[in-house]
Amino acid sequence: MSAQGDCDFLVKRARELVTEDPWAAKAWLITARTLYPTDFGIQYEMYIIERNAERTTSAGRLLYDIFINFPDQPVVWREITVITAALRNDNQDKHAQFLKGVFETLPGPVQCQMLLKATEQCFNTLEKAEMLLLLLKRFPESVVQHGVSLGESLLEAENVEDLDTPVNCFRKLFVCDVLPLIINNMEMRLPASLLHKYMHKAAEFYIGYVTRGPCTDPQLQGPQEVAGLKSPGIGRGQRFVIEGLSEKSSVVTEPWERLLEIVGVVGARCEWQGEKGSRTYTELLQRVKELCRYLPGLEGETLSRCCGQIVTCSTLVLFRSAHFYVSTVQPSLFQNHNSLGSTPWVLVEDLSSVFNDVEVERSSGKHAHKKRKLADGREKTMSSDDEDALGKGRGRHILVNKTEMPGWAETLEHFRTARESWDLLHSHDALESEFNKICLAWKTESWLWFRIFLTDMIMYQGQYRKALSSLVQMSALQPQQSQNSLTAASNLEMHRALIQQASCHYALGEHRLACEKLLEVVSGLVPQNQEPTKSSEEQGRVRNKPRKGNDLRLVPCTSKDILPFCLQLMLACFKLRAFADGGRDDLALGHVIVLLQHDWPQGEALFLKAVDKICDHGSFQYENFFNYVTNIDMLEEFAYLRTTEGGRVQLELLPNQGMLIKQDSSHAFVSSLFTKHTHYNIFCLHSFRHHTVTRGITKGVKEDFRLAMERQVSRCGENLLSVLHRFCINEKIILVQSLP
Amino acid sequence: MSDIRHALLRRDPLSAAKEVLYHLDISLGSALQSAPGPTPGLDKSTVDLVEEFIFQVSKDRSVQRKRMSCVQELQLLEIMCSYFQEQSKDAIRQVIFSALFGLQGNKADESRMSVLGKLVSMAVAVCRVPILDCAATWLQRTHSAWCVRLARVLVDDYCMLVPCSISTLQNICSASPRFCCQLISAVTALYDLSSDELTPPPALLEMVVGWITEDPRLLLLTFINTPLTSSLPIGCLEVTPLMGLLRWCVKAPLAYQRGRKSTVTNGHVDTEKVGECEELYSKLHLSVLQVFLMLQVHLTEQNLLGRLAVLQAESVAVLVEEVSRLVDELNPLHAANEIQLALDRLAQALQVAMATGALLCTREDLRTLCSRLPHNNLLQLVMSGPVVQPPPHSGPFQPSLYPYIHPARPSPLSPHATHQAALSSPHAAHPALSPLPTHPALSPHRSLTPHTAHSPLPPHTFHPAAMAFPYRPIR
Repeated sequence: MSAQGDCDFLVKRARELVTEDPWAAKAWLITARTLYPTDFGIQYEMYIIERNAERTTSAGRLLYDIFINFPDQPVVWREITVITAALRNDNQDKHAQFLKGVFETLPGPVQCQMLLKATEQCFNTLEKAEMLLLLLKRFPESVVQHGVSLGESLLEAENVEDLDTPVNCFRKLFVCDVLPLIINNMEMRLPASLLHKYMHKAAEFYIGYVTRGPCTDPQLQGPQEVAGLKSPGIGRGQRFVIEGLSEKSSVVTEPWERLLEIVGVVGARCEWQGEKGSRTYTELLQRVKELCRYLPGLEGETLSRCCGQIVTCSTLVLFRSAHFYVSTVQPSLFQNHNSLGSTPWVLVEDLSSVFNDVEVERSSGKHAHKKRKLADGREKTMSSDDEDALGKGRGRHILVNKTEMPGWAETLEHFRTARESWDLLHSHDALESEFNKICLAWKTESWLWFRIFLTDMIMYQGQYRKALSSLVQMSALQPQQSQNSLTAASNLEMHRALIQQASCHYALGEHRLACEKLLEVVSGLVPQNQEPTKSSEEQGRVRNKPRKGNDLRLVPCTSKDILPFCLQLMLACFKLRAFADGGRDDLALGHVIVLLQHDWPQGEALFLKAVDKICDHGSFQYENFFNYVTNIDMLEEFAYLRTTEGGRVQLELLPNQGMLIKQDSSHAFVSSLFTKHTHYNIFCLHSFRHHTVTRGITKGVKEDFRLAMERQVSRCGENLLSVLHRFCINEKIILVQSLP
Repeated sequence: MSDIRHALLRRDPLSAAKEVLYHLDISLGSALQSAPGPTPGLDKSTVDLVEEFIFQVSKDRSVQRKRMSCVQELQLLEIMCSYFQEQSKDAIRQVIFSALFGLQGNKADESRMSVLGKLVSMAVAVCRVPILDCAATWLQRTHSAWCVRLARVLVDDYCMLVPCSISTLQNICSASPRFCCQLISAVTALYDLSSDELTPPPALLEMVVGWITEDPRLLLLTFINTPLTSSLPIGCLEVTPLMGLLRWCVKAPLAYQRGRKSTVTNGHVDTEKVGECEELYSKLHLSVLQVFLMLQVHLTEQNLLGRLAVLQAESVAVLVEEVSRLVDELNPLHAANEIQLALDRLAQALQVAMATGALLCTREDLRTLCSRLPHNNLLQLVMSGPVVQPPPHSGPFQPSLYPYIHPARPSPLSPHATHQAALSSPHAAHPALSPLPTHPALSPHRSLTPHTAHSPLPPHTFHPAAMAFPYRPIR
């Protein structure tokens, strides 16, 4: 009998027995192995029995034997490939766990050898890298030999594949797995330039990861999407997968913290000034701000090292804070926002003083501004859009409804920190050029979210001309992200830019352009039912702290909040014209009166001022009056103006074309209203049986006016916002034309 | 001494026994402290006192002493139990234990055995580790005939009398593995499957297999902890239970077949029980082979490979003879499978034992030994040996390379530096492939000459010269 024949016989007997009597099968194989210790088949069979029975220790023991004794058997290699594959992926199934366990039982040097050999067999860069990573993680001493080359190979792979985002599988592996091993290995001596390069690669990745847009792949959207949210059109799936990686390994926890750790380690290794390990981003900024003061005295290598530190730290703080700010202002841009209850916000001029007296405003606003401009004359002119120096950045306030934005203080603080970092980065030519290099490398020009921040910052700085061009750039970035934004809410988000343009034009004094933009916005809005208590309460609070008129305000980007803002802005535009010294513009004054109805009685003072003006002139012509004025107080006032006591003012308020107005359910309301106002008995002359009245039917102008008044009183119950919305849409052309 | 005796005679039996125990403790304890080297012997008078007052063997026919009542005997056992539990010095415990229970070859031995059986049974019940450890030593140094008697007491108490109480015995394995190792040797000597009555009870089998599969190293415990120089008394149990267990595994298929034959004539066969036992024997057999592999590692580490026969060739010859007789008893037509299973196991054990150096014999010896057995493919293969093939890239199978599975245990057998030269050939590691030119196959390990050249420290400081040959034929 040949040796092979013997071996085959022995293995065959073992196989016959294995299901029925596994112990006997093993006994046969043990015997066989003592007879033919160099036969691979026998030992492999022993391993297979243990592996199939998932006995970790004995399988590991046998695997060790065959790995040592038969290193060239292809079957062994296949087995090792299976095991290392189980190690690499995060599969939690029982067999994968078992295979991992088998690997764990092997002695360290054998694990090391196995991984190296398995690495050699990989042709796919990603797999090879993952395999090598297993090695590096287990055997820190191998980092010195393989760490940097693995890192470089990943960065190279990224270049070769020409990936359009830093959030790719190669970079993820590099940043999250390889880089910590490299920089934390004290045996490694790496040049500062390389460390900087790696740190910037890490920063680019983490920023890209944090600010990634919501995924649009319908397959990957969470099940809650299907359940039908308000805006199912926007991909807001919470799941996110980096191509080439599993869902689990695509997750990066606490990206900003990880980045801070890397910065801390690299800073310490590059001997940064005052770097005692990472603490917080605020501290990073604080430190480089101090460092900045010494910059003018430095030169050569010290200067460039200092610049490196300042630019890196400020850049990271800038992007981090800007991201936090934008994630509140426009949450839908990002992956992990809570799609429910997160409204976008828009930064605009604060108009809460719009109801203030024109004179007061003029004196305090313009004057104060001039003074400040003089005082600031010697400071660096970084916000010197000369023609629109309406309010320079210093000391501007941003108002926000604190109940509607719970994290308002934080959000504003982030906005401030981001601006501060930006200023720091532009306080020195060397810093600015370094920063620009980073921006160029990271293609920050194409980051819509950052453009949003920049625009808001520029507006804050009062450089409205620049802000307008920034808004144009933003709209260039806009389309590709909002492809599938079709709902009203997302339309509003798109209108953000228009609203801000209007706000900027207004601030620049370009009232006509401002109105044009506004009216475009208004046409996209749906008027809501008024909630008078809430809004007046808020307004009341704001009114208690008078502002100088150059503050900004964060307004929720919803129809409910935007329409009032538009109305205020229009009022602000027309107010100046209507009350212009010397001139007389009844049309503008009429518009102002219509607009003052909103938020009544806030505008009472202004209305009385308008009435005074009408009285001064002795006449007033505004043919849209009865179409859009439904405020009972105003109607009373105008009715009174016609009387002898009121001064017999000539009023031409009737529309040039008849209005058919149906009376219906408002009867009861109106009559109740009348009982309250009985002292103005001029209104109580008639019942409301005449449903329709036209001017042509006749009893003279006086009768027409009286009837129109009656009719108007009955309209008091109409939704004011609808009336004003209609006003904006119907009178769009007149409105625009009536402004210079 | 007679003063003490007279004083004791006046006491009641229990307090007299207590007094003797106290006396023993004082005298042996102080002797041990003053001369720590060789263990002090017992003088004749002390032995007499122990026999008269503890084991109740009357010296003086004229004096009719009052014997202890059963309750008093139980109290005495309790006193002994707590004495051994509380005595913290291992050496003193050992000395007292052998002073009490070392067989003297006189008429008191029966009484001794009776008390010992009760004491050990009680120690098992309440898990008194010191007593079990002393009993382990006793089992190592006493003639197997007495050991078997102790084993029978325990099997009767824990397997037969109250069937459920086996778990109590089962659990002491972790408490005193040494005792369990020796108990396995004793029960395999007791149940040699020579008749149906001497087939191990299933509960016992299950317990033993349970112990061994839990940790197979248990079987080598006594072997590893016994210094090679210590001369063991003639007729004592083998140093490992391997041979006894092997007998169980190999003979079991045949013995059960024989048993089946007799029960068929009696009427009933519990097939389920038989099936369970078959599985247990299969497990046990695998464990025995695995222990051989462990043994090889140990022998290699101690440079003893090829020099020390753990499995005696004579015992193997006896086993082969027994198998052959059993085969003759059975009808080869009806029991072909059982016969082949027995021969497969025998062949496997012989092969693995030879390959691992546990059994020192040549293939030639084997052929002579097994010539009378029926044909079996594997046995044939083992007798003729593997077909010699040119060695490929790697060397012979070397389990000792692997550090995690078989951690080196501290062993009293080391150091053996002088043996290094004797084992210069690398093939010595594998006697199956290249047998040593000189073959100490038939030499028991205690007669190995090199070990007398130096004296490694024995693990137990206690080693009384008086105990070297404690057994004398019972008169």
